[in-house]
Amino acid sequence: MQSANMLLRKIVRSSVLPFAAQHGMKKDLFPLSRTLSISLCLKQDKSCEPSEKLDLDEWKKVMKSGLQEEVSETVSEPEELSSLAAARETLEMWRLAGRAVPDNISEEQLKTFMECPSKSAKKKYLKYLHIRELHKKNDKRKMDEKRERRLEAQDQASNTDETKKNSFLFLPSSTMDKAYLWRAAQSMIFGQPLVFDMSYEKEMSVREVTNTVRQIVMSESCNRRAVDPFHIHFCNLKDDSLYHREFIKNYKEAWGKLLITVTDQCYTEIFPKDKLIYLTADSPKVMKKFDHDKIYIVGSMVDKSIKTGVSLARAKRLGLETAALPLEKYLLWNTGAKNLTLDQMMHILLTLKDTADWRKALEFVPKRKYCAFVNKPVKELKKTLDLINTIRRGKGREEVENQFAKNHPKRYKLK
Amino acid sequence: VQPPEKPLQAEEWNKLREDFQLPEIFEEVMLNNMIRCNSPIDVAKSLLTHLAKRNGDIAYNVLVKYLTLCVQQGQVSEIHDVYDIMKVRFKILESGAYNLLIKGLSNSDEWRMALTLLEEVKKIMIPSRTCYESCIKAASRHQEMKLAFELYHEMLAKDVVPTLDVLQSFFNFSRGMKGAELQKQLFGILLYLRENQIYPHKTFMRSIKLWFESIPGGNWRGNLTNIKDSGQCPVCKHQLEDSNLTEEEYSNLSERIIRDVIHGTDTFRKTSPKEFEAFQTFVENRLPFDIVIDGLNVSHMKSRKMQCENLFDAVNCLAKENARLLVLGRKHMLMNSSNWKREIMKEMQNKADFFFAENISEDDAFLLYATLRSGKHCRFVTRDFLRDHKACLPDSLTRHLFRKWQRGHQIAFSFSSVFSQQPALRYDCVVQTTGDTWHIPYKDVFEEKYSYEVPRKWLCIQQK
Repeated sequence: MQSANMLLRKIVRSSVLPFAAQHGMKKDLFPLSRTLSISLCLKQDKSCEPSEKLDLDEWKKVMKSGLQEEVSETVSEPEELSSLAAARETLEMWRLAGRAVPDNISEEQLKTFMECPSKSAKKKYLKYLHIRELHKKNDKRKMDEKRERRLEAQDQASNTDETKKNSFLFLPSSTMDKAYLWRAAQSMIFGQPLVFDMSYEKEMSVREVTNTVRQIVMSESCNRRAVDPFHIHFCNLKDDSLYHREFIKNYKEAWGKLLITVTDQCYTEIFPKDKLIYLTADSPKVMKKFDHDKIYIVGSMVDKSIKTGVSLARAKRLGLETAALPLEKYLLWNTGAKNLTLDQMMHILLTLKDTADWRKALEFVPKRKYCAFVNKPVKELKKTLDLINTIRRGKGREEVENQFAKNHPKRYKLK
Repeated sequence: VQPPEKPLQAEEWNKLREDFQLPEIFEEVMLNNMIRCNSPIDVAKSLLTHLAKRNGDIAYNVLVKYLTLCVQQGQVSEIHDVYDIMKVRFKILESGAYNLLIKGLSNSDEWRMALTLLEEVKKIMIPSRTCYESCIKAASRHQEMKLAFELYHEMLAKDVVPTLDVLQSFFNFSRGMKGAELQKQLFGILLYLRENQIYPHKTFMRSIKLWFESIPGGNWRGNLTNIKDSGQCPVCKHQLEDSNLTEEEYSNLSERIIRDVIHGTDTFRKTSPKEFEAFQTFVENRLPFDIVIDGLNVSHMKSRKMQCENLFDAVNCLAKENARLLVLGRKHMLMNSSNWKREIMKEMQNKADFFFAENISEDDAFLLYATLRSGKHCRFVTRDFLRDHKACLPDSLTRHLFRKWQRGHQIAFSFSSVFSQQPALRYDCVVQTTGDTWHIPYKDVFEEKYSYEVPRKWLCIQQK
């Protein structure tokens, strides 16, 4: 019995387990080894029952027992690991140690991982992959549940009478698409231009470019659905640039059919300079109202490391007028940078274009960034802010404030 | 959960586990608490035994936690056993386990084993600084100074920054030892402190002092002292190195500032080429200045006073000794407003040269440029620490130069009711030697609070 057990264990450990680990089947196989070892231990237990004493090092025996045989076999294995396999091995150990590591990793991702310049960069990249994997799994689970529910509903529907007819006019989504396309086509001829400036590729990391393109795709779709869409221009978009490749990845074959203008020319070559306004959070000028005769430019840049003044520098170089959204004027700002994502920008501009209502438009600023809307002059706003601060942090706040003003006089310069 | 005090039987563990809200992570939580409470190792063993019996296997992270407990209590034989088990079970280990193993073994008689482990780590990754630290300390504790220094140099070559602790241990363990080679190596460490502008803390300083005094036949004598503003050491009457940069350093630094701070990736970000050119001709026509003032910064000195009055006071205070002044400001200062009175501005312009930049330009960059162009004698006035500009410099060497220059040339006003000026330091605050003397600045506390603060306390070591 014992020897049979040992044989089984040997088979399980030496051949199946590595295979199982590779294919993520560990869980299915473990019960087998578990029952085996329990039977083994129960036997030993009985043998030392009379003493009733705990053998504290017993776990070592258990851990080593299955291993003695393994040693002889691992020696014969090819020891030389390719760098890729070594990286995979390291990852596996990190996973065992309970770090945030994805379960599955592709060859390409593994290469990117190895090219990370520092330990912290590696950790960050793996965490990113890990979280993405979790999201994907969750989405898939939800999809499956939904499908199941739908099938169930269908089953029930087929059981009941099917002759019930819908009295509403049926509007298939393709019809909606056609209507949108018609509007977009109209905007191509009569619409107000809106420019996305695609000249920041050098300023960004690969991931920032990917995020930028995703935000632009979202902006484009919400523009398409608008009552009165903008005529979108992608300016300075070079063929085979990172932006371009990402767009194709996102749109696939629809890229050629989009109702927007894509050009590698600069906006200054297409439009008269005095009509252009560059929107940037660093601008000293604050936008008062939306002008239907102007052409607004939005810099296509996601900036995760706060490089201030990049787009302002671009506008200065070209001698363009600049403007910033009047966030301070309408919102009691709480935290976060004043730069907004491109799709938020698009929502705000579309709303302004339709309604000229700042309050409605600025609803699209993320709620976490501001405390409330204000419609009082700046001086009273300051008072409110002070009041809130004193209430929130109690006394002693003022001292801190003064100290801060002393240490950072720069912040108070421009105001 | 409170870890039990005595080893438990399997059933007792089972019961505890069932009472716990999240049975899946019971073992992890329990071991974490054992580490925190420094529980007896037998308790942990009984838990592992229970686990092994139930699952026939113990997960890697649980083993690492157990290892942490063993290292914490210095249980060398247990560390060995865990290592044996891990080695057979896993092809390689990850850095956490290696760190623990090396740390645990280096404190024991089997410290050489830690060295072999270090070799193993090197095959798959760059060892962490704590790995090196443990090994170096172990080697020097056993008087193997040569080996310790080899490891130290290897670590530097791999860009792993040594802890102050490691450096201190070299001095501690070399006390009373003879040898020209050893002495050279330790001087090398002092020069490392100099090059990286690191200031030792009080206990580290004491180790250095004791080592110097213990060199057989060296006749070194150490004294603690404060250096006067003149830069003369009160003990040995030696004049410290002055804070001026060499010609080469100076031109190097000004070149870098123009290239990396003012122009950077895009000249338009801080100024515009046209404005910068205008500023350059302005400066060239009026060179050299003695003091360059950051007008806006100074004008915020006292919040009670009008901004232009603050500036006026500062200009008056500095103009006394017939110095040539340059005040940098922004165009909005010229607009008559409640804070900027035109008459006062007029009056000031008789006493000093003014340059007004665009409201959206950065005046600090101009401040740096004008000061550097005026030459070594020129100083500047601002309370700004200029950290953002230092950060624009790409390499640490230039940043150190910048710091050194800043210490020697920046005048900071203090906030008392009267204007009083903090003089720029005339001597350089780094570890320095003349061969038969060493001067070492040190900090009272271990933690360095502000990087811009330089220590005022010094260790003076001289050879009789």
